[in-house]
Amino acid sequence: MNTAMDDGRQESPGEQTLSFRPVRDDDTFDAFAAGPAKGARRDDKREQTGDEEPAAGETGATTESEAAADPPQPVNFFAPRKPVTGGGRPKPGDPPASTPAASGWDPAAPGKPDPAPDKPADSASPGGPSLFVRPATRGGFATTDEAVPDQDEPAAHEETAIAPASDQAGNAQQTGEEPTAEQTSGDEPSENETSGDEPSDEQPSPAAELSGSGDELEPEDAQSQADELDQPGDEESPDEAQDEPSGEAEDEPSDSAEDEISAEVPDEPSAETADETPAENETSAADETSGEGLDETPDTDEASDEGPDAISDEGLDEASDVTPEAATSSEAPDEVPDEVEATAEALSPEAVKTSEEHEETSKGTDGTRTEELPAEAAEALMAALDALRESVADLRFGLDLPGAEEARQAQADLLAQLEDYVLPRVRTSTAPALIVVAGSTGAGKSTLVNSLAERNVSRTGVRRPTTGTPVLVCHPEDRAWFTEGELLGNLQRLDKPPTDAATGGIVVVATEKLPQGVALLDTPDIDSVVEEHHEVAHRMLDAADLWIFVTTAARYADAPAWNLLKLAKERGARLAIVLSRVPSRSTDVVLKHFVRMLTEYGLGEIDRFVIHESKVEDGRLPDSEVTELRLWLAELSVDEERRAQAVRETLNGVLNSFRTRVPALAKHLEAQVAFRTELRRDVESAFLGALGAIDKASKNGSLLHGEVLARWQDFAGSGDLMRSLRLRRRGRAARQAPERILAFKAAIRTGLESVIVAAANRAAEEVVARWRHRAELGAKLAEGLDRPSDNLVRHTSRAIASWQEHLGELVRTEGVAKRSVSKLVSFDPEALSLIFMVAMFNGSNGEGVPHRLVNALLGAESLRGIGAKALSDLRARIGMLFDEEAMRYAQALDSAGIPDESVATRLYQATYNLEVAR
Amino acid sequence: MTTMTTRPGLAPRLTALTKVVELGPGRLDPKLLNDAGALLQRAGERLKLSSEHTVVALAGGTGSGKSSLFNAISGLELSPTGVRRPTTARTHACVWGLEGAAPLLDWLQIQWRHRFSRASALDKGDSQLHGLILLDLPDHDSIRALTDTEADRLIGLADLVVWVLDPQKYADASTHRRYVTELAGHDAVTVFALNQADRLTTEELAELVIDLNDLLRREGVEHPSVVPTSAVTGRGIESLKSVIATAVARRRAAIQKLEADLHRLEQRLIEAMPLGEALSAPSSVDEARRMGLTDALCDAVGVPAVGEAMENVYAERSTRWVGWPYPRWIDKFRSDPLKMLRLDDVADEIRGITTGSVSAQSAEVANAVHALADGLSMNMSPVWRTAVHQAARSRAGQLPQALTEDLAEVAPQLDRVPGWWRLLKVWQYLLVAAFLAGALWLVAGLLMPGQLPPSLQLLGDSGALPWVGLMMASVLGLGALSGIASRNFVELGASRERERLEREMRRRVAAVSATMVVEPVERELARHHAFYTALRDLSA
Repeated sequence: MNTAMDDGRQESPGEQTLSFRPVRDDDTFDAFAAGPAKGARRDDKREQTGDEEPAAGETGATTESEAAADPPQPVNFFAPRKPVTGGGRPKPGDPPASTPAASGWDPAAPGKPDPAPDKPADSASPGGPSLFVRPATRGGFATTDEAVPDQDEPAAHEETAIAPASDQAGNAQQTGEEPTAEQTSGDEPSENETSGDEPSDEQPSPAAELSGSGDELEPEDAQSQADELDQPGDEESPDEAQDEPSGEAEDEPSDSAEDEISAEVPDEPSAETADETPAENETSAADETSGEGLDETPDTDEASDEGPDAISDEGLDEASDVTPEAATSSEAPDEVPDEVEATAEALSPEAVKTSEEHEETSKGTDGTRTEELPAEAAEALMAALDALRESVADLRFGLDLPGAEEARQAQADLLAQLEDYVLPRVRTSTAPALIVVAGSTGAGKSTLVNSLAERNVSRTGVRRPTTGTPVLVCHPEDRAWFTEGELLGNLQRLDKPPTDAATGGIVVVATEKLPQGVALLDTPDIDSVVEEHHEVAHRMLDAADLWIFVTTAARYADAPAWNLLKLAKERGARLAIVLSRVPSRSTDVVLKHFVRMLTEYGLGEIDRFVIHESKVEDGRLPDSEVTELRLWLAELSVDEERRAQAVRETLNGVLNSFRTRVPALAKHLEAQVAFRTELRRDVESAFLGALGAIDKASKNGSLLHGEVLARWQDFAGSGDLMRSLRLRRRGRAARQAPERILAFKAAIRTGLESVIVAAANRAAEEVVARWRHRAELGAKLAEGLDRPSDNLVRHTSRAIASWQEHLGELVRTEGVAKRSVSKLVSFDPEALSLIFMVAMFNGSNGEGVPHRLVNALLGAESLRGIGAKALSDLRARIGMLFDEEAMRYAQALDSAGIPDESVATRLYQATYNLEVAR
Repeated sequence: MTTMTTRPGLAPRLTALTKVVELGPGRLDPKLLNDAGALLQRAGERLKLSSEHTVVALAGGTGSGKSSLFNAISGLELSPTGVRRPTTARTHACVWGLEGAAPLLDWLQIQWRHRFSRASALDKGDSQLHGLILLDLPDHDSIRALTDTEADRLIGLADLVVWVLDPQKYADASTHRRYVTELAGHDAVTVFALNQADRLTTEELAELVIDLNDLLRREGVEHPSVVPTSAVTGRGIESLKSVIATAVARRRAAIQKLEADLHRLEQRLIEAMPLGEALSAPSSVDEARRMGLTDALCDAVGVPAVGEAMENVYAERSTRWVGWPYPRWIDKFRSDPLKMLRLDDVADEIRGITTGSVSAQSAEVANAVHALADGLSMNMSPVWRTAVHQAARSRAGQLPQALTEDLAEVAPQLDRVPGWWRLLKVWQYLLVAAFLAGALWLVAGLLMPGQLPPSLQLLGDSGALPWVGLMMASVLGLGALSGIASRNFVELGASRERERLEREMRRRVAAVSATMVVEPVERELARHHAFYTALRDLSA
C-alpha cells in the first residue's frame, strides 16, 4: 500500500513534465492515437447522461450538481461526495454525513479538519491529469493515495457513488480540462452538498435556469453572462470560495479567471448565507457554471486539441440535462439528499459499467486503494513495452550504410535491455535492486565484490582482463528472484564461473553477508582488448537498478571511463562511484582533482567512496576499506523507500532514454529506406532515359543508318521494290520473298536490337556509376551489374522479331489498301510492312519514297494509325525488356534486406504509446 | 649530415609507391591515396633529416609511468610526474648528442622549452645512447586525448616506439586496438616496457609477462620484446636502456620504421587493389581485337550491305545498257503500277539515286566500342573496368559522324556508265537494226516479189529467203547471248568493284577507329599496367 502510494506521489510531480511534453509535442499523434477513443468516450458519456435523466427524475440538486459540477473535476469530487452517497443519505443539516463537504462550507463544522487533507489531495491531483490521454489514472493515483487515510472504509461505497463522477471526470479530462477547471468543480460539489444541507434547494434551479439558457450559449456568452451575474452573486460566491476549502482555489492560482473570483470573493461580506435568495443562489450557480466556462476557455489554450465547442458543449449539455430535475428539486428541498442517494445508486451500476468499459482512469481511481491500479497501469505499460519490443525486434537494417552497424548494435542493446531489465522490472517492481559493479579492467571490481561478500565469489588476479563471466551475489532470500526471475532471463544461470573462456552465462552466488534487497553484480571490464567483455558489461549495466562505477587513481581520467559516466548520466541511472587503489599519500590531490572533473561533467552530486591502495589478501580488501560502502548497501537494504526510489529513477531514466534511442533507430531505418528509394530512383531514371533514347532514335531517323540504309537502297535500287508491287492478276500465287527482302528485314531487326542493347548498356553503366557515386555500399551492391544481363540480346532479338511479325499482321489486317489501289495493284505484304517500317522510322514528315509509297497504297490515315499502334507496341515490348533488366537491380537491393518503411512509423507509435502508458 | 644509406629495397619501393600515388587518383580510395602520399612525404622528410639520430618515443596510457620512465632513463627530473591524471600534456624530448638534432626536433614539432640535452660530460656512461632522441609523449587514452592527437602524430613519426604498459592497463583496448594491432609488422621498431613491476610479486610478474606475450602474439606481433621495468625501484631500466642503445647504435630504426610502414600501406593497397590477374590484363589492343573492332564498325556502317547494294544496282542498271532490248520494250507496254498510282516520280527518284549512301549507325558503333572495352577489361577490378570503358567512349560520340564523313568519300557512284556499256548498247541496236533489215527483206520478198524495183531485185530472190530467216534468228540469238554475256561481265566487274570498295572502306574504318577508340583505350591500359607493375614492385 505504502509503496503504491509512494509511487503515485513520486511520479506525479516527477512525471508531470516528462509526460506532458511529448504529448503536446505530438499533438497530431495525440489526435491520431487518442482521437477515436475520445470520441467514443464522449459518446459513452452522452449515453450515460441520457441514462441519468430518467433515473434522476425527481432528484434535484445532487444529480444536477453531479452533472454540472463533475465534469471539470475528476478526482477531487470523490472525496467530498463519498460521504454524501456512501456515508448514507446525508440529510440536510446532518453534519457528520456531510462532513467533508459541508465542512468546506461551514468553517465551524466539526468535520472541517477532514476536508483539509482531502483538499491537498485534490489539489495534488491536478498535477496528474496533465497527461491528456490517460490523465485520470494519474490523477487517480495522486488523489486516492492521499485520500486513503480518510476514506479507507468508504472506499467500497465509493465505487458506486464515484462511478458517475469519475466517469465524468474522465469526460472532463477528455475535454482536455486542466487542473484549474477542477478547482471550480471542486467547489461545486461541496457547494451542492451544502445546498443540500442548507436550504439551498433553490440552488439547482438557478443552475437549471442558467444551464437552460446556457444551452444556446457559446462559451463566451456563458462567460459574459457569468460576469454579469457575478455582481449580484458576489455575496454568494464568497461563501463558496472562501468558506469552502477555498484554499484549493488559491492553491493553484494558475487560472486568471479563477484568480479574479477568488480575489474578489474575500472582499465581499462573506457572512451571507446560502439561503439568501434564489437570485443569490442563482448567482452562485452561475458562478459555478461561469467558473466552468471561464476555466474551460483558458484551458482550451492548452488543450487545443479539443475545440472550445467541445468543452462548452459538454458543460452545457450536462447542465441542460439537469434542468427538469432542478425544477422539481427546488420544490422539494428536503427530499433532496435521499433522492441524491437514490439517484446515485440508480446510476452507479451503469455508470460503473460504462466507466469500466471505457475508462481505465475511473477504475484506476478506485483501484489505487485496492492496489489494483498499479497492476492496471503496469499492464498498460507492459502492453506498450511489449509493443515497443516487438517493433524494435522487427527492425532490419539490411543495407550496410554508414551507421548501420551502430544501429544494429543499438537495436540489440535496446532489445536486450527491454527483455533483460525493463519488462521484468515493470512486472515486478518490488524485486530486489540489482547493483551492477562496472569499470575498467584492473580497477578491482571483483576484489570489491569479494570484499563486500566476504567470500571469494569472483576470481581476481593480475591477468587482464580477469572477469569474463558476470557474477551475481545476493542474499539467500533473494536468490530465487535472481535465478528464476526474468531479469536477464536470457542468460544461463551458473553455479560457478566456467573454467574456459566461454561466456554467455551468469554466476549466481548467495551469501548472508549481503543485506537483503540488494544484489551485487560483478561485470567484465569495459575497456580491455576482449571486446566481448564490453558488450557483456554494457548489457549488465542496461539491466542495472544502480550502478557502482569503479575506477582507480591511475585510471580516473581514462576516456572509456568517462564515456561510461556520460552514458550513466544520459540514461539517468542511479550511480555511485568508487575510486579505488588510491595511494594514501596522494589521496587528497587525486580526490580533489577527480571531484573537480566530476563536477565539471555534472556528476558532482553522486555518492563517492574512496578505497585506498592496500594489500589485497586472498582477493579481498581489508574490511576497513569497504565499511563505508557496506553501510551504504545496508542503508539501501533497510530503507525500502530509498531503494524503490533509486530503482524507479533508473527505470525512468531508461524509459526516458527510449525517447531518443528508439526514434534514433527509426531515423536510421528511414535513412535506409530513403537510400533504397534513391537507388531505385536511379535505376528507374536510367532506364527511363534509355527508353527515351530509343524513342528518339525510332522517330528521328537515326535508326535508318548504316546497314539498314544500304539494304533499303539495295531493295529499292535493285528493282525489288517495284517488283513487289504487281498488277493484280488473277491466279497468281504469292511469291516467295526474295533474299533481299529477308536481308532488309534482318537489317532492320539488327538495327533496332543494337539501339536497344546500346541503350541498355548505357543504362546499366549509368546506374552503376550513380550507385557508386552515392556510397560505398552502392558500389558493393552494384557489383556485377555494370553490364546488361547475358540474355538481354537473346530476349531483345526475340522481342523485335515478334514485333515485326506483329507489324506485318497489323499491315495485313488493318492496313487494308485503298480500294482504288487494291483493284489495280497487289503487293507483297512482307515487303509492304518493310516499307512501312522504314516510313515509320524515317520520321521526316511525309517526305521520302517509303512515305509516299505507303501513303499511296494505304492512305495517310492508316499510316498514322498503324504507325502509332506499332510504335506503342514496340515501346511496350522494350519496356518489358527493360523492366526485366531493372529487376536485377531491384533484386540486388532487396537481397540486401528490405527495410520496411511502415516499421519506422510503428516504432514512433510504440514510443508514443509508451509515453502515454507511463 | 650524411645521407642515410638505405638498404637496397627501400628506395625502389618508395619509387614504386610514388608511381602508385601518381597513377592512383580516381582509381584508389582517396583516403588510402592520402595516406600513401603522407607516408611518401614523411619518408622523404625523415630520410633527409639526421640519420645519426634515432627518435624513440615513450607511449602509453595515462598513469602507466611514461614520464617516470623518461626521467629514469635520462637520469634527470625532466618531465613532471604526478598523481593527477592525465599528467603530461606536451611532449618532452631529451637528446643525447645534440649536434644536428634541431631540424629533426623541429620536424617533430617539439617545443623549444621541452627540449633537453644530455650531451654534457656527465654522460660518459651513456655514450652508447649517443644519437638518441627520447620523447615522453602525452597519453593517448585519457579524456583529454580525445581532443588531442599529439600522441597519435608522434607515434607515427617516431623511429622506435616504446609502449609503456602497467599491470593495470596492459590489456586496454585503447592501446591494443588502436595501435598494436595497427602496427603489426613493426616488431623491429616496437618495444614493450611493462612498468610498475614493483607492484607485483615475482610470480605475478612472470605470469603477467607470459600473458602479455601471448596477447601480443595473438595480435600479430611475432616477436614481442617485453621488458619489465620499474621506474620506482630502477629495476629493468638498464635492460630497457640497452635495448634502446642497440637500436640507436645500429642507426637503422628510422629505415626499419619506414619499411614497416611501407609494408603496412602496401598491405592495404593490395587489399584495395588485389594484384590477382590484373597484370595479365592486356596492356595494348592486339591485332585480333583491332580486327574485331573494325569488323563490328564495318557492320555498323553496313559495308557488306553497301557493297551488295552497289552490285545489285549496277546489275539492274546495266540492263538498260547492255541487256537485250526486246524484253525492256515489252515491259514498257505493260501498265506500270506506279504510274497508275501516280507515283512515277517515285520510280524516277529511285532511278535517280546517284551515289550509294554510307552512314554509321550510332547505336551499333556504341555497341562495338562497348564490346571492345568489355573484352579488354575482363580481368580488371571494377574501378579500372569503368575507366577503360570511359576511355573507349571518350570520343565515341563523334565516331559515327567521323566514320560517315570519311566513308562518304569512297561511296560508290551508282550512275557511272563504263564505255563498253555504250558500245554494247550500239551493238545491241545494230543487231536490232539487222533484225529489222532482215524482217523487211522477208516481208518484201514474200509479199511483193514482183513489185520490187530492179535495183532490189535481189531481195525478191526466194532462194535467199530462208537464209534471211536464219539470219534474223541468229541476230536475235546473238542479241540475247551478248545480253547475257555482258551482264555476266557487268556482274564480274561489279563484284570486283565491290571487293575494292569493301577493302577501301575497311581500311578507312580501321584508321578512324585507331585514332578515336584504340588510342585512348591503350593509354588507359598502359596506365593500368603501370599502376599494377608499380604495386607489384612495391610489394616485391
